[in-house]
Amino acid sequence: MIGRRTVLRAGGWAAGLALLGLPPPAQAEGVAEEVVEIRMRGNADGSAVWFDPVGVLVEPGQTIRWINVDPGNSHTSTAYHPANGDHPLRIPEGAAPWDSDYLLPDQSFDLRLTVAGVYDYFCLPHEEAGMVGRIVVGHPQGGPSAATLPEAARQRLPSPEDIVRRKSVRIG
Amino acid sequence: MLIRTILIAGAFAMAAVPAQAQSVEKAPPGGTYKKVSELVKLPDFLPGMGTLYVDPATLPAGPFLAYDHDGRLASTIYMIPVEDIQGQKKFDNLKAAGGKVDHVDMYFNAGHPGVEKPHYHVVLWHIATADEARVAK
Ligand SMILES: [Cu+2]
Repeated sequence: MIGRRTVLRAGGWAAGLALLGLPPPAQAEGVAEEVVEIRMRGNADGSAVWFDPVGVLVEPGQTIRWINVDPGNSHTSTAYHPANGDHPLRIPEGAAPWDSDYLLPDQSFDLRLTVAGVYDYFCLPHEEAGMVGRIVVGHPQGGPSAATLPEAARQRLPSPEDIVRRKSVRIG
Repeated sequence: MLIRTILIAGAFAMAAVPAQAQSVEKAPPGGTYKKVSELVKLPDFLPGMGTLYVDPATLPAGPFLAYDHDGRLASTIYMIPVEDIQGQKKFDNLKAAGGKVDHVDMYFNAGHPGVEKPHYHVVLWHIATADEARVAK
């Protein structure tokens, strides 16, 4: 189980090492790809919120980093999983769920996914507003159906095929 | 009888008003109002609104009292879920402690901790439009 998923919080031990002047630890499993950043965004009056990009393709074990760049709101990255408030399972069987908890402006959250497949996630306070995202790990076939999503969320999610083809899909 | 009623009502008003009226113009408003950023995880100062206080018992509608960086009351805000508007829900006797209203804004908000449902902000500005810059950021 250990090693399937590694979560580093902003200001956590990696940042602590940096403060001590030590280099960050080498990544496990020989994965050395660049960090894939997903920004949590909102417009000035808070009438729209979204993940940018909304869809990303990553390699197994690659670090995904969510950053809240919205000065007027808090956001979360929360896996569609029964463990998270009884939400439907929309990540691969056997993959561990995650929940970043609320990120204030400029805070970030790191995650590594090692089980190949399609992962859907949402923002706790903004699911109804359609703040959802999709991560494709590796090159899986198919993905979770759209049936269990709120309408606003359903319209936002790119298909896994689209994400695989374009690697990164942005809204608008 | 009438005079006695007025006197009693007056006494009640005197007893009730000072705690509310004298305190809301400057942050913190006191009484049952709590700082929103201490109730839920939100930034202390929200661009466009300011530092918010609310009586948790009145959520989600509020009123929320919004203060500028110097602790001066800028607006009173009501947050009305869109589903409540669609459901034709009645909001009766919402408190309005902030005094003179200069103008009113209404705009959609996608939600935030505390009021997660998509909702409308109904903003009673106690300052002139030009002074809204005080809470812009
Ligand atoms: Cu959000």
